[in-house]
Amino acid sequence: METLLGLYHGLTIALLPTNLLYCLVGALIGTLIGVLPGLGPVATVAMLLPVTLYLPPVTALIMLSGIYYGAQYGGSTTAILVNLPGENSSVVTCLDGYQMARQGRAGPALAVAALGSLFAGCVATLFIAFFAPPLAVLALLFGPSEYFALMVLGLIAAIVLAQGSLLKALGMIVLGLLLASVGTDLNSSLGRMTFGIPELADGIGFVPLAMGVFAVGEIIKNLEKPEERSLVTGDISNLWPTKDDFRRSWPAVLRGTALGSVLGLLPGGGAMLSSFAAYALEKRLSREPERFGRGAIEGVAAPESANNAGAQTSFIPLLTLGIPANAVIALMAGAMMIHGIQPGPQVLTKNPELFWGVVASMLIGNVMLVIINLPLIRIWVALLKIPYHLLYPAILVFCCIGVYSINKSVFEVSLLLVFGLMGYLFLKLRLEPAPLLLAFVLGPLMEENLRRAMVLSHGDPTVFATRPISAGLLLLALALLALVTLPIFRRTRDVAFKEEG
Amino acid sequence: MRRIDNVTDLVSGLLLVGLALLALTLTWPLRLGSATQMGPGYVPRLLCYLQIGLGLMIIAQSLVTQGGPLEKWAPRPIVWVLAGLAFFTFAIERLGLVAAVIGLVLLSCLAHRGTRPLEAALLGIGLAVFSVLLFVEALGLPILVWPGFGD
Repeated sequence: METLLGLYHGLTIALLPTNLLYCLVGALIGTLIGVLPGLGPVATVAMLLPVTLYLPPVTALIMLSGIYYGAQYGGSTTAILVNLPGENSSVVTCLDGYQMARQGRAGPALAVAALGSLFAGCVATLFIAFFAPPLAVLALLFGPSEYFALMVLGLIAAIVLAQGSLLKALGMIVLGLLLASVGTDLNSSLGRMTFGIPELADGIGFVPLAMGVFAVGEIIKNLEKPEERSLVTGDISNLWPTKDDFRRSWPAVLRGTALGSVLGLLPGGGAMLSSFAAYALEKRLSREPERFGRGAIEGVAAPESANNAGAQTSFIPLLTLGIPANAVIALMAGAMMIHGIQPGPQVLTKNPELFWGVVASMLIGNVMLVIINLPLIRIWVALLKIPYHLLYPAILVFCCIGVYSINKSVFEVSLLLVFGLMGYLFLKLRLEPAPLLLAFVLGPLMEENLRRAMVLSHGDPTVFATRPISAGLLLLALALLALVTLPIFRRTRDVAFKEEG
Repeated sequence: MRRIDNVTDLVSGLLLVGLALLALTLTWPLRLGSATQMGPGYVPRLLCYLQIGLGLMIIAQSLVTQGGPLEKWAPRPIVWVLAGLAFFTFAIERLGLVAAVIGLVLLSCLAHRGTRPLEAALLGIGLAVFSVLLFVEALGLPILVWPGFGD
């Protein structure tokens, strides 16, 4: 009952004209960057953070979250029509979506992707509305040692479920934590690693770091390769799926939604993992697995539903525990902190209008996105023809102005340069930058909770093992680490991520 | 000694160890404190040791595993993208937004071989106008537009 009241309250906020407008803006920008390969939600949300300073917090978050789930819709368009994933969460959609387009069935593929996403988005929103409040109550029981353990679990889970070398990802986490410790120490007000630069006393800026690593570094990397001409395949005159398409799709949509909603909850989960897992599941359950990769509509329906569901439920850890599940959500945590709101269980009690407003806006945003994506598909197809060499200078301009406008600090713009180079280096060395950003956001909180826990326990580190909740969380983290080193799991994990090849 | 195959991981490990050593020197003078009353240096130093450990493990692993050679570096995009950013940093408070944006666009366009000069010029002017309209006029950010008399 309370949930329904909350949702109603949220709808009255989300339906305010300003919020509706920014929800639409977010959905449009999200679709745009989803469609354009080479520009992802992390860079875009980072670029728009400064703009959101001038908006009320609810409006800001409504827009930013619209960008995140909007990108899941847009990403499928590029995957289906051009065989390029617009977002990394649509990598698997390329497999069957593009085959359908080559068979002249681009329309039904796009329609099933959009309708599946709509269904998944609505279910995931209700999932948040019903699931988050009780979790937030539970989180209020947490003391510093539990929080510390929870963040350790979050960081470990984030890398276990991601791609690439485990040791390198761990190294990036520690580097992120180390970068987060730059600046004034709160207890002693002594500067740490500031090189005597006064601007570093407040720590390294979150925005220049995120933009440098994710936008500038990516641009340099993308420019290494000669520009690819995108060829749009298929005729999209007929959008409506056939009866047979519907019959095949709906169970896949249901399974994708369920899987995505659950995987989105996990720290480190979210859109990408959900789509890979959903595709693998469909293929395994199908009676004719040989159809996959040759234009099976289930292969579009399941991952597209799953990535949208996962994108949305990955807000739950942020809103209830204050722990961002992935890099985009970490940026939203940054946006909340810029507005003086500490993400965590207290959001629901102290800023209910923020929580319910954002949740309700997701329902509205998903409906908007179907309208944006289906009837207006031709506009997005036209945008696919923008060449990258005209796009990247514009991205650089927005990054620079964005960073400068936060504090009017020339120093922060120069940090953009440093982190841009570092980001490129990371990409070259195949060091995943996402765990670094996640750790950077969690760093100050982890240190604070660690110190507090140690004061309370009089310097006894066994406190983490003797308090049941924190012990449980740490055991789970250890189990995850152990699991990933097991050869069987390693192999399945690699296979899951290599599905695209 | 046989040739090291996994150079990418070897360099990654060295980079992590190097950065940790740098951080360790920088935080060395800070008071460590005790576990109960941690000083400002406690957590950073702990992290440095952890990172050195991980870096060494990555190095060790790189010596026994297969992996590609180091990817080739492309100097052109690095130089021109960074030059564009450096120009913006220099110009934004001295020459104003319009000059900073046009300079950034022109320099960064050099990073891509095929961009025609006219294209770059039009893009620069277009983005400069757009930025002034969006950031200064619409959002009202206090940014210097032209060199000279303040905002």
